[in-house]
Amino acid sequence: MIDELIGILERENVEWEIYWEKGRGGSFRIERERLERSQRKFHSGIGLRVGYNGKLGFSYITGLNHERKALEELVKRTVKLARVSEVPFSGFPTPSRVPRVDGLYDRRIDEIPFEEAHSLAGEFAAKMRELKYDSLTLSGSIALAVSNYGIANSNGIFFEGRGTGMSVSAYAVKRGERTGSGSYYQAYRSLQPFEELEGAIQKAVEEAELSYRAGKAEPYSGEILLEPEAFRAILGILLENLFGDGVYYGRSRFSKPGEDVAPEGLEVIDDATIPAGVGSFPFDGEGNPGERTVLVEDGVIRSFLLDETYARFLNMESTGNAVRDFRTMPHIGTSNVVVGAGRDNLEEFEGVVVKKVFGEHTANPVSGDFSLTVELGYLVRGGEVIPFRDNMLVGNAFEFLRALNAIGRKVYRKGSFYSPRVLGIARLV
Amino acid sequence: MEGLLRTAEELAGRYGISYYEIRVTRVTASHLSMQNGQLEELGMNTEVGIGVRAFNGAWGFSSANDMSRAGDAIEAAMKIAKLSRGDSKIYLGDPVKDRAEIRPKKSFLDLDIEDKLALVKEIDSLLRGGDISNRSVYYGDGLKESFYFNSLGSEIETVVPRLRLSFSVTARGNGEMQSYWKSFGGTAGWELVERIDLNRWTAFVREKAISLLHAQSPPSGEFPVIMDPELTGVFIHEALGHAVEADSVKNGDSILAGKLGERIAVEGLTVVDDPTLPGKFGSYVYDDEGIKARRVEIIKNGVLVNYLTDRETSALLGLEPNGHGRAQGYSYQPLVRMSNTYVEPGDWSFEEMVEEVKNGLYMIGDKGGEVDTANGTFTFGAKEGYIIENGEIKAQVRDVALSGWILNVLRNIRAIGDDLRIEFPGYCGKGQWVPVDDGGPHVLTRALVGGLR
Repeated sequence: MIDELIGILERENVEWEIYWEKGRGGSFRIERERLERSQRKFHSGIGLRVGYNGKLGFSYITGLNHERKALEELVKRTVKLARVSEVPFSGFPTPSRVPRVDGLYDRRIDEIPFEEAHSLAGEFAAKMRELKYDSLTLSGSIALAVSNYGIANSNGIFFEGRGTGMSVSAYAVKRGERTGSGSYYQAYRSLQPFEELEGAIQKAVEEAELSYRAGKAEPYSGEILLEPEAFRAILGILLENLFGDGVYYGRSRFSKPGEDVAPEGLEVIDDATIPAGVGSFPFDGEGNPGERTVLVEDGVIRSFLLDETYARFLNMESTGNAVRDFRTMPHIGTSNVVVGAGRDNLEEFEGVVVKKVFGEHTANPVSGDFSLTVELGYLVRGGEVIPFRDNMLVGNAFEFLRALNAIGRKVYRKGSFYSPRVLGIARLV
Repeated sequence: MEGLLRTAEELAGRYGISYYEIRVTRVTASHLSMQNGQLEELGMNTEVGIGVRAFNGAWGFSSANDMSRAGDAIEAAMKIAKLSRGDSKIYLGDPVKDRAEIRPKKSFLDLDIEDKLALVKEIDSLLRGGDISNRSVYYGDGLKESFYFNSLGSEIETVVPRLRLSFSVTARGNGEMQSYWKSFGGTAGWELVERIDLNRWTAFVREKAISLLHAQSPPSGEFPVIMDPELTGVFIHEALGHAVEADSVKNGDSILAGKLGERIAVEGLTVVDDPTLPGKFGSYVYDDEGIKARRVEIIKNGVLVNYLTDRETSALLGLEPNGHGRAQGYSYQPLVRMSNTYVEPGDWSFEEMVEEVKNGLYMIGDKGGEVDTANGTFTFGAKEGYIIENGEIKAQVRDVALSGWILNVLRNIRAIGDDLRIEFPGYCGKGQWVPVDDGGPHVLTRALVGGLR
């Protein structure tokens, strides 16, 4: 059917790009240690972009089984949109070699019978019942997904790919005279052994127990160690300023690479080529190769995140960061974000540690000011761990990055974010 | 549709399913976005899909966006429910046959895309100005036609139009950058756009962003805080609304579990969630479980009197279902969600409230929020604020976020204004996004302010 659509498009005097996708997913939700909601979803569709006379039209159609007439109507509608749309069209990518990225597809996820996945979720729930005790309530989820997708354009790009994914989450609430909660989430490309699920529950429970004991800490100003999840909230403020569309439209603090943002040791990379990476891909949503893009090296901004359109607008090269599904035009997004390992041993750190924060979307991306609620932190003193929460972590993301005191040696992964622990200066209110 | 009804009945018999429900929806939508005078996106699309839920003591769900797979989706949901066999209960009730349409005065489907483009261009040009480095305009509309039926014999057809317009600017100067924005939206047609005073609001947004370049960071610590109606809205949504969604009560995840009938706030506080308010962004006629939408008093004179429920949680908690089972779309299962949530007005004037404050803050506008319903902590951002000293409004402050413990903040309310406004449309995320509205009058309470000073 894609060939038929290409045939129709080739008779039009336009440049074109087709993105198609067919996928399915199974997910399972456990509430109060019982498997309460199971679902199996199917999706498929085609997104079409047409460039005509310097203008761009976009439209989509759901499903992949269409009569010729429906395909002709899709083309007609999209060409018409290109004529009236006034969205500037700067050209589609031309073919180039794409990297081989291993570990993105696991046949076991593609072929697992639904009953077997359901039974895995049932065992996950049973494990929660086993680990539960009176004051503890457990919930969680498992999701499995498979997707086949492809991209073709009038410059000769034609790529097809497939990928699988699995995610696991666990949530624990401990209630007594007070309340504590803990959560754990991780995503993968391959089917995970049961120990991974059991580990998720245990980590959520450990966190709930810490949180249960936590009170508010005294106000504090000075060195604070951020665990990767908390650091992600701060680094996210910098990343927002590195999106090429924000740079082009004057929403970013930066207008060109080269600016100092952090001490020499800090390296931030967007890397679509990590084997088995949750955010990895061999080619992006426009058919450009997935790349390893150094965003910050030795504390200096080296590149922005770019798709084909904004790369051309800015007179730069695409970094292969167009993300999309068939319903959307490609837009700029990250693949895997990697903060490079530093030289400092922060595993045995004693002092104030912030593990999790929330409310990062209230931070101001351009000024960098943030005030986030501490979901969980702890004070380590003489090997003793004293948890705290509900303080606000206050600072300025750019000042925090510039004044980083130490970057840990060990890198942790949370979904598509990789980072060591970092030590910087901030305030607890 | 007749064919689907028959298929569903047959399959339910085959798989021994006690209850099922099917939603078939068609959404016809258009959206346009423009930055700095350059059109970024112009889309017009129609999408049809089916979502099927089957109950057998636990839920099975399946969806498809290719209607040739509709039968497969029905069968998949039934099979999953059969496999799942749980011991939960749901509210069933009587079948409902109805057709309900929210009819706009002027349908956006009757307008040419050129008219919508002209609106976006006009706003863009009104936002132009010396210190403005970025102008963004978004317009989106969608007509959702939904057919719902279930195994009880309910057959409900609804037609709901929804429109949203928002614009923002980023100003640059004084070595700083600051943004400000404004959104409009409702279950309405083009008449909503025609009622907006574009000159006034574009100038307002521009001036606010520019003035924030010279604003200070707020102080930090616990302060008396006057929230404007917009911030009261996000506060009550975050601090109270999520904790009264009965699924969080069910899952042991709400600090308000087991507190029905208890006084949890000051006597003067009454909080309502009302999906039946005409024209509001979070309004609807039936929820996604085929239950008629209804106004719910959550807090009445300081006492927690109700939770927001769906079919499942109402059966579990022994409450009347109140039509708050909402799904992002056909491919999502309904969850308990808010609609239009607001604080009822009191009798304080704004001026009286300001006079009450010796050393505090006046906080304005919604920058979003987040809540931890289990621990009872929430945080939310304000677009801007002002220092209040000895009953007088002084210097402007920027980048302000507040935090607090739900029950403390509700008990610390000292004054509730007489100036109710519910006109702050947005989307609420809880694994799924649904349109909501919120608001209230000015409210004086205490909260933790996270400033850099």
